[in-house]
Amino acid sequence: MAAFFSLLRRLYLSLYNWTVFFGWSQVLYHVLITLKESGHENVYKAAEKPLLFAQTAAVLEILHGLVGLVRSPVSATLPQIGSRLYLTWGILWSFPETRSHVLVTSLLISWSITEIIRYSFFGFKEAFGFAPSWLLWLRYSTFLLLYPTGISSEVGLIYIALPFIKASEKYCIRMPNKWNFSFDYFYAAIVALGIYVPGSPHMYTYMLAQRKKALSKSKRE
Amino acid sequence: MKVTLVSRSGKEIVKGGIELTDSATVADLQREIQKRTKKSPDRQRLTLPVPSGSRERPVVLNSKKSLKEYTDGNSRTLTIIFKDLGPQVSYRTLFFFEYLGPLVLYPVFYYFPVYQFFGYKGERVIRPVQTYAMYYWCFHYAKRIFETFFIHRFSHATSPLSNVFRNCAYYWTFGSYIAYYVNHPLYTPVSDLQMKIGFGFGIVMQISNLYCHIILRNLRKPEGDGGYQIPRGFLFNIVTCANYTTEIYQWLGFNIATQTVAGYIFLLVAAFIMSNWAFAKHRRLKKLFDGKDGRPKYPRRWIILPPFL
Repeated sequence: MAAFFSLLRRLYLSLYNWTVFFGWSQVLYHVLITLKESGHENVYKAAEKPLLFAQTAAVLEILHGLVGLVRSPVSATLPQIGSRLYLTWGILWSFPETRSHVLVTSLLISWSITEIIRYSFFGFKEAFGFAPSWLLWLRYSTFLLLYPTGISSEVGLIYIALPFIKASEKYCIRMPNKWNFSFDYFYAAIVALGIYVPGSPHMYTYMLAQRKKALSKSKRE
Repeated sequence: MKVTLVSRSGKEIVKGGIELTDSATVADLQREIQKRTKKSPDRQRLTLPVPSGSRERPVVLNSKKSLKEYTDGNSRTLTIIFKDLGPQVSYRTLFFFEYLGPLVLYPVFYYFPVYQFFGYKGERVIRPVQTYAMYYWCFHYAKRIFETFFIHRFSHATSPLSNVFRNCAYYWTFGSYIAYYVNHPLYTPVSDLQMKIGFGFGIVMQISNLYCHIILRNLRKPEGDGGYQIPRGFLFNIVTCANYTTEIYQWLGFNIATQTVAGYIFLLVAAFIMSNWAFAKHRRLKKLFDGKDGRPKYPRRWIILPPFL
């Protein structure tokens, strides 16, 4: 019985990882093709469908951690997925004025390359029981460049969106109301920018430590 | 008596060890360590080595005991593991500053025209519920400060200095967040009846909470050496952490009367934090009072929030 569930788990996770891998491959493909054929202004439109699908699917990973299907701590994945969903739905999808900016291109390239490597890594592990050492190296090395480029794109796009957020009053709750509550999406965006200040070095040094652990372990094996 | 003092990684803290008389106490050892390392006893965490592979929690040395009690037969040498807990503050200092924030900041929102800086010009009408809320809130935090200096007997004398920043951030931020909404010029009061029920229930719970604290105080000796007893009497007969229970209900009363999302968020977070503490305390008491070797067995009780937890 236990062996059956273990097999089912492997099957499900293989399917999940390779499906989302395919989604991100499509994102990268459409970004590069559109860049070549028309220009960075149209990149979002071309990549929108696979982007919304692949990035939103990541919510399942929180579930996987909660029910114990995977070992990753929820506390590590939550901030990562949170910022991704915020940029995807809270900025790009909600404020179309941002979509034509060149930072969208750098954002999607950084994200898609990172995710293609990450999902294929897990896809290999679940399906075949191991991942090739070059893939492990890529997983723990590309972030050195892609974290700075990705984070800069995220911060840049939130900043670009600010005037549109303020003008639109979207997602704002005003007083008076019977629950005596208010929410200002503009100030929340400022707070989000603030979080990047301690958050980015924290994430980067965490990955550096992970890199040291993972690559030295594989050397010894 | 020769004490070898090592760090958790095995490195010798004091080269050549420390020489003490055979009848020396742990407190004597702490004084010697302070002379050699300049770290005060409050910062010293001294434990007996745990056999490798054992999942047991290490035995922490009690400053009142003599070192002989921790040796097993071979009473001339002892190896002790040292951990520096970092700069410490007394619990009284920590509690005083974390409670001072809400006590002072809330009335600022009530008495001063702060809302002008948020863009609300013009006269502000103060409703009765806002006045009662301010008195209720300030009474609560004044009570807490009073209890800190006159009621509580702490299990430890000190807490790490970093907790001052963390705890003050928590209390002061939430205090300001709630004060902003309850004293807001566009605040919408609830019905008179709901307000009275809320504050009435809250006051009853605050008084119950004070009584719970007095019961807990009487479980410990004034010399302040911590220690745990089975709490009995009043609500403790049915719930282990009746003090947390009454505190949570007290905040519920405040929120029923003032009805702000900010207040309810604070209630949820506080209840979550207190529940974690309650689980740990309940588990510790059950482990300590296991019914063996003449010890009483911890009775079956709710942990913090009957009928759920």
